[in-house]
Amino acid sequence: MMHEGELISGWSLPDAPLAMPRQVLERPRRRRMFSALRSVLSLARPRI
Amino acid sequence: MLGSAAAFTLTGAVLLLRATANDGTSTLDMLRATLFVATTFWLVLGGLNGVIGALSPSPPKVLGKAPPRGMTAILVPVYNEDPRTTFSRIAAMQRSLDALGVSHRFHFAVLSDTRSEVAAAEEVVWFARLVEELPETSRVFYRRRAENTGRKAGNIEDFVQKSGGAYDYALILDADSLMDGATIAEMARRMDADPQLGLLQTVPQVIGGESIFGRGMAFASSYYGPAFSRGVSALQGMEGPYWGHNAIIRMQAFAQSCGLPALSGDPPFGGHILSHDYVEAALLARAGWKVRLAVDLDGSYEEGPENLVDYAKRDRRWCQGNLQHARLLRAPRLRLWSRFIFLQGIMAYLASPLWLLLLIAGVAGTAMPDRGWSNPSSVDGWILAGAVATWLILPKLVVLVRNALSGVNRNFGGTLRVSVSVLAEIMLSTALAPILLCFQSRAVLQILLGLDGGWPATDRTSSRLSLEEAFAASWWMMAAASLAVAIVVALAPATLPWLMPVAVPAVLAPVLISLSSRRSRSLRLFAAPVELSVPDIIRDQRRLLAKWSSVSIGPDSGAVAPRLGGSAHA
Repeated sequence: MMHEGELISGWSLPDAPLAMPRQVLERPRRRRMFSALRSVLSLARPRI
Repeated sequence: MLGSAAAFTLTGAVLLLRATANDGTSTLDMLRATLFVATTFWLVLGGLNGVIGALSPSPPKVLGKAPPRGMTAILVPVYNEDPRTTFSRIAAMQRSLDALGVSHRFHFAVLSDTRSEVAAAEEVVWFARLVEELPETSRVFYRRRAENTGRKAGNIEDFVQKSGGAYDYALILDADSLMDGATIAEMARRMDADPQLGLLQTVPQVIGGESIFGRGMAFASSYYGPAFSRGVSALQGMEGPYWGHNAIIRMQAFAQSCGLPALSGDPPFGGHILSHDYVEAALLARAGWKVRLAVDLDGSYEEGPENLVDYAKRDRRWCQGNLQHARLLRAPRLRLWSRFIFLQGIMAYLASPLWLLLLIAGVAGTAMPDRGWSNPSSVDGWILAGAVATWLILPKLVVLVRNALSGVNRNFGGTLRVSVSVLAEIMLSTALAPILLCFQSRAVLQILLGLDGGWPATDRTSSRLSLEEAFAASWWMMAAASLAVAIVVALAPATLPWLMPVAVPAVLAPVLISLSSRRSRSLRLFAAPVELSVPDIIRDQRRLLAKWSSVSIGPDSGAVAPRLGGSAHA
């Protein structure tokens, strides 16, 4: 923690990093039926 | 409260179906009843919230005296603001803390996201002036970000990531926030006293209004605000609101729980979260921290828009932010209540176009008599409309009666003067509500069409709007309302009385906007306690601002104080 007299007023903020992990707010998107179907079809497509 | 609102709304919907379905229930009847439920529930909930708050006892204000144990950073994010005014507020708050002998537990940090180089240069010069003004024991810092990633939420996050470890708490302010030292110290003491308290929000009172619109808003904020806040507090309990400023956070809790991700996709629904405050409150609650509203603490102030156009601009930003929360309704592990608050925020804006649709459905029903409302002027219909309107006015009248009985009206100049102000405020808000409804409907439509409104800086200086300026901002609603009246006269003249309460203010929008932006001639109307007995913090800030206003200072003056060092550009 900060103690009195450590800093002077000015441009430099205290150097005391604190991690701020990104929170999960979105559920993984379900693949739409059409996308899934297209993927399957693209795999099954004969290679020319 | 939720059950009562639901019961009233469903009863109304049944009455509406009975009044409209004489010849059997049609699709239009069902649509109309659904729209009625979707709009009226939230309106009744708001009204009930006010009534319950007005009938709840005011908790006593108990202030401690000892200096807080924890260290607090008072964060002032700025974005193209007038530095002279903003920094005069910081000076007044610092002095107020000094006078209490607790200022050694508080540091101020100005977190600039200002984009304009000219404005930034002025900030640097006025910051030096601020430091000179304060005693040497004061701790005031300034930094400007090279990029304003994540806007205000990103600005605060940047501070937490670089300097958060040095502080126990952070008091988040806006550039127009002003808080009494005793209130600030008490907030820190309450954080000391309850280690589970993650966030404590005060109820900021709007001050500084000079126009009719601004003074009306300030009066509503100071007169009805406490009752509505008690209602919100009773409803939300330990999962209370966070309004983004004039609130203190526990640094560790905030850092662990509130790192906001950018949402997938493009704006307006993807990208950085705009209305970050609601989300941060939900995330703190998700992590098990208490989020509370301090309804007993006064001495917390902010300024508001001085005219309806500026209000609508700010509202456009909030609208986009709230609608973006639709993406978060299914966010993992959120409390049910937090999801409800997101939905309430979304409906606060979605309700406007739904009201318009309800009106259109009524007109359509009359234009198609074989399917629609056989008698739009029926007693049932008017009773229903009256009952809905009552929920808008009833809380205000209950507050008036309560304050007359409890003696609070004396602080506002007496019951007679307050009654005139309440009546004038009801008339003003009734006249302007349809105009706001049009602005909000347009905003919702723009956002649903994928138009990003960006993040324009708040204009805190402009006030009076000429008729031409008001016309430029509202001609489209004037034209739309005129067209709607013409269509109704041609197709369903019997529904004209239902349209008039919305159409008349919309047609007169330029006049009403311009008139309400005029400087109020009477200081008796809409008088608030802070005007009748000006608190020390406000008086001190105004005196300082007046002193600084006479000082000629500019970026070229070279007046950078010797106590400063380092780079201003982080």
